[in-house]
Amino acid sequence: MVQHMNPWKRFVEWWKSLPRLEDQPVPEEDPIISRSLSWPIAISSLLLTVTLLWAFYNEGWGLRPWVRYQNRFVELYRKHLQRIGPLRAEEERALHESEGYQKLQEQLKNAEAEIRNQLAAINAEEQMVRRQLDALTPVFTTERSRIQAVIYEIETASEEDRERLRKELEELRRGPFEVDLPVSASAAIKIEEKQFSFEEMEELFNELKAEQGRLQNRRIVLLRRPTEIRREMEAYLKARLDGLTTAQVHGLMAKMDQFRVEIKQIHNPEMNLVDRCESCHLGAREPVLVTTRDMEGMKVFTSHPKVELLTLHDPEVFGCSPCHNGNGAATVSTSKAHGNYKHWLWPLYKRENFEAGCLQCHEADRNLRMAPVLNAGKELFYNRGCWGCHAREGFDSETRELRDARKMVEDLAASRQNTEIVIERTVARADRAATNEEADRLYAQAESMTLSMAHMDTLSQRYRSRIDELLMEVKTQGPNLKEIRAKLRKEWIPVWVSNPHAFRPTTKMPRFRLQQDEIEAMTAFLWQNGINAPVPAQPPGNPSNGKQLFETRGCMACHAMGEGRDAVGGTFAANLSRVGEKVNYDYLVRWIHNPRERLYPYCPVHRRDITPQDYASKGLPFEFSLENNRCPLGDHSLQVQNRTVMPNLRLSWEEARDVASFLMTQRKADAFYPPAPFVDQQLLEKGRFLTRHYGCHGCHEIAGLEESDKNATDLTKEGSKPIERLDFALLTHEARKEDWYNHKGFFEHKLADPAVYDQGKIKQPLERLRMPNFNFNREQIDQLTTYLLGSVDSVIPEKFHYRPTGPPRDIQEGWWVVMKYNCDACHQFEPGQRTVLQDLPRYQDPDWRDQLPPSLIGEGARVNPEWLARFLKNPALSSTDLNRNGVRNYLQARMPTFNLSDGEVQKLVRFFEALSEQRSPYLPPPIPALDDGELALARQLFTHPAAPCLVCHATGDPERDKNSTAPNFLLVRERLKPDWTERWIVHPEIIRPGTAMPSGLFRWDGTRYVFALAELESFKGYTGDHAHLVVRYMFQLTPEEQRRLKAH
Amino acid sequence: MDWRQLWEIASAPDNIPIVALLFFVPFFFWYAFRQAFATDRLIRRLGGDPQLAKTHHRKIEPYREIWEPKLHVWPYLLRVEFLAALIMTVLLMVWSITLDAPLEEPANPNLTMNPAKAPWYFLGLQEMLVYFDPWIAGVVMPTLIILGLMAIPYADANPLGNGYYTFKQRKFAILSFCFGFLVLWLSMIFIGTFIRGPGWMWFWPGETWDHHRLVFEVNRNLNEILGIYSQPWVGLVGFVAVVIYFALFGWLIHKLVVWNDFNKKIYERMTLLQYLILQFFMLTMLALPVKIILRLLFRIKYVWVTPWFSI
Repeated sequence: MVQHMNPWKRFVEWWKSLPRLEDQPVPEEDPIISRSLSWPIAISSLLLTVTLLWAFYNEGWGLRPWVRYQNRFVELYRKHLQRIGPLRAEEERALHESEGYQKLQEQLKNAEAEIRNQLAAINAEEQMVRRQLDALTPVFTTERSRIQAVIYEIETASEEDRERLRKELEELRRGPFEVDLPVSASAAIKIEEKQFSFEEMEELFNELKAEQGRLQNRRIVLLRRPTEIRREMEAYLKARLDGLTTAQVHGLMAKMDQFRVEIKQIHNPEMNLVDRCESCHLGAREPVLVTTRDMEGMKVFTSHPKVELLTLHDPEVFGCSPCHNGNGAATVSTSKAHGNYKHWLWPLYKRENFEAGCLQCHEADRNLRMAPVLNAGKELFYNRGCWGCHAREGFDSETRELRDARKMVEDLAASRQNTEIVIERTVARADRAATNEEADRLYAQAESMTLSMAHMDTLSQRYRSRIDELLMEVKTQGPNLKEIRAKLRKEWIPVWVSNPHAFRPTTKMPRFRLQQDEIEAMTAFLWQNGINAPVPAQPPGNPSNGKQLFETRGCMACHAMGEGRDAVGGTFAANLSRVGEKVNYDYLVRWIHNPRERLYPYCPVHRRDITPQDYASKGLPFEFSLENNRCPLGDHSLQVQNRTVMPNLRLSWEEARDVASFLMTQRKADAFYPPAPFVDQQLLEKGRFLTRHYGCHGCHEIAGLEESDKNATDLTKEGSKPIERLDFALLTHEARKEDWYNHKGFFEHKLADPAVYDQGKIKQPLERLRMPNFNFNREQIDQLTTYLLGSVDSVIPEKFHYRPTGPPRDIQEGWWVVMKYNCDACHQFEPGQRTVLQDLPRYQDPDWRDQLPPSLIGEGARVNPEWLARFLKNPALSSTDLNRNGVRNYLQARMPTFNLSDGEVQKLVRFFEALSEQRSPYLPPPIPALDDGELALARQLFTHPAAPCLVCHATGDPERDKNSTAPNFLLVRERLKPDWTERWIVHPEIIRPGTAMPSGLFRWDGTRYVFALAELESFKGYTGDHAHLVVRYMFQLTPEEQRRLKAH
Repeated sequence: MDWRQLWEIASAPDNIPIVALLFFVPFFFWYAFRQAFATDRLIRRLGGDPQLAKTHHRKIEPYREIWEPKLHVWPYLLRVEFLAALIMTVLLMVWSITLDAPLEEPANPNLTMNPAKAPWYFLGLQEMLVYFDPWIAGVVMPTLIILGLMAIPYADANPLGNGYYTFKQRKFAILSFCFGFLVLWLSMIFIGTFIRGPGWMWFWPGETWDHHRLVFEVNRNLNEILGIYSQPWVGLVGFVAVVIYFALFGWLIHKLVVWNDFNKKIYERMTLLQYLILQFFMLTMLALPVKIILRLLFRIKYVWVTPWFSI
């Protein structure tokens, strides 16, 4: 029955069945009066008390975890100091007993004994003066303030009061004032009661003060010698003691005894910085190097791992969080302080990314000392062509500047035209003017406009020459695809485009996500869009000689050979293991001979390549070069060189053929490419669209797309983009759950798989993410992530950014050029730097080690900057004899011609000067001519059989130079700096460890350097410096003189 | 079911009061009504027993002759209040120790948070913005709510039910409160907290708040549904609709006011001003659920569109 009732009725039944209030048993006593609340109140009060105690605890300890850390630190650090104290003491004792120290101590004792009596006298005298001052000062200062108050009253009093006050003052001054002045009476001190007027008191006070000063001065003079000795002793200990002295250790112990538990804070109002990191990281700046083991596993107390960084960036100024991120002001918990919670926008950098912090101030540095990961990230960003699609401040600035300059030239031309018209009109109006004055005024106006036109012309000229330079500086990361028809086998293109990594795993070219039809369309477009011009046919060369050349001329500084683990060589440019499968021999020869040589020049104004027909239409021969770079169709410059950084190695045609023949042999025997017939107008149009869509023009020169914009996001401030603006798409929730919903996580996943955020999305092919896959490995992802994380809107004020002027800026700028052209693959610029060539197997052989390109450490000190500029422009140092090295003809590796712009050359020259701390500008010191006697002496030294210079140094005579391993002396005058040359011939081993140049040719005889290998009769009467004599001789060596010497 | 997210919302320090509300409101609702019903039964008994009614009966408690008819505030009331104060202080202190103020990241004017939510006690107002234009929902309605609350004592013509819990004697007032506060105000706060996700979209509890979620939802004004696009007809249509609403619901409210004999008696005690005030505020209050239904079920954005305000 009950089961069939409807729910509402059931509910009502249930409700009614509940016990009613009035049904409860009625107590006898009035419940309100009789019920006691004592227990509830007692319990609540107790609870309140407990809560209150809890609040106190929370306030004092719960919210102050650093209190525990500090107590623990004091305990551990003291223990550590106690541990190292005896060791230090042991070491120090040994030093104290050493002879040098004993001698100093002896000296000190003597010096102190010498002055003991005098010092005692001074001390006694001073004590007397001090006592007198002690007695006088209170009386004097009290009266002085009383008198000054009265003086103030007089100054501000009304006329009638003034006289009265003045009298009062007189009286006050008169005194008398009683002073119990101590006076020395023979041996004892007697106290005399004396009376003074204020003037007398003042005089005495000043006299005593002066006396005190005189005495102190005398004491300092007296103590000078002992102080000096003490300092020497300290220096002696410091020089021989590694680390702290016992005194310092004791000092630290004392510091621990007086340690105050408190928030340790760095505050720099200029940076709006409040960092309390050291409230827990107490060992970070301690003078003792503290390791985790010293601190019994407490990582938090260890020293900063790079002390040098802290000396460069004083923590009192820079704090911690500007570099490391995190919430420097937070003290309540580790996660809060490290910023590892949802609402802190700048969490502590992870270990693998911590160099990101450097970028806030060091944006302008291409090569930052002590930041290898960041440098590698920048290098990847440049080398992999990220900047082709992504704008990024600092990269590709040449293109931007070129565009601006071109715009400027156009604007100037337009305003010049306008001005011309206005001048014409003004003159016409002047001609018709009613009065002479009016006409004069208008003529003057016209004239001033003519002047401004001249100014425009100069300006325009300046921009034009800058454009010429920029046309040389602008480079693209990928090859010029206009020449694809001459260069490549057509069948190879679709295979390559579909997956470049399959053909060449290490290639810079990334893999795009393309459909088969897209690949066909792009192949069709690239092929049909290419220049269809013949390349002269080349006879075959000698592959084995080519192999030799390839391995010795320096190609392998940039290019590698061999696949996978067998790859040998640089990674800056392509791995050439399978190059024979793709290229045409004829084109390759031409390329190796001079990679900068274009089929057709490109005109940025007409936005197309200039063909032979264009030249013919103006009746001009089809010739173009860096000197002859005017467009036949108008007055502007052409792009006459390929935009590759690959330099011209100045090989002869024959050598180029040999190398090309060798490269053509680099192929897989079973390489097979299906035919690729794709030729079709419709396909071409589709391919053009796709090529632009995927941004191929970012890295390649493609006809019609030369001036197209970058098609990806600007990464300059990517690291500080709000996280909501980074599109995690459908992975948002997964990212949150797996704890990578942050910038680091976004970058890492994107770099590992650029299509990752398309996962699960339903999109049209053209709507999909376009970023291609670069095949980055874990390490590279960390490097790039570090770079991107550091690319932030800096919170540090401009003035702290590293934007130096003068030499440091020259160094900064120079590195950009050095890294752009990969100079560091062959040359050393800094101690400790390894070049690619140094690590090649060939150069491990001691015979070949001498064949390494010269180290450039100290280059700025060595060479004359003017000569260096000339050399960089033309490393052959000749306009006719190009197939050689200008300086070190004996080297097989070739210093190539980079066709640097004047600006780049200047940057490099200044870079070297600045690296070697040379004063700029360089003024060569005058070198006095040798007289006949000196000449004879110098010749004798120069050709002395114990050190025959010309055996090793080249002379320009091919027969003789076969075995030479050093530069020609005829270069010296223009190339070297005399002071460096002198240092060099005296101590080559110090300047360049391991050099073939013998050391010890000269020895120091106390006043000058003399020839060390033999006693020469003829030098008996010569008092000058022998090394200096030789240098002077070298700087005036003429070819005739050298020939004469050779004859000997 | 996205438990993680549900927990995140429920455990957010901002939302503690609302979660507490979910338990406290039903409890006190039950507690008050138990008391009120007991009183009502007592009233009935007293009505049937005039002798008993003459005694000084303490409202709900059973009658004992020896009990004092009246008790002093001190100590009998104050000691209870003191106990309550103690417990409240303990609660607040524990709360403040264990839950920190929910401080978030620095404000960025270029990037507002999504969903951007008001403090919990204002979420009802914010939810109202879905149904009315900002001028109505943000200014007019809140003002009317405050004025209406202030007007209650003056519009109330019912002399009974002061100082004791009763339902029978104040049915109209209590049901109005239950509807206006418990149903409208609290449920809107609940919706604002638990239901409204990114883009202020409707997510059922446990549905993942997805920023990329797309829903098809086209809201149109009444005049657009009727195919009227030109003034003055647009304004006129809305005006007529509003008038119809006032007439229809005014009549319905009147029916409630004179529902039974007791109500009629109260109605007779009312002045015209009191009655009009009552009608006006009741109509305004009822406009909200009506608009919610129109908006959520019939996808009507505004009924009355004018250049100055929209309803």
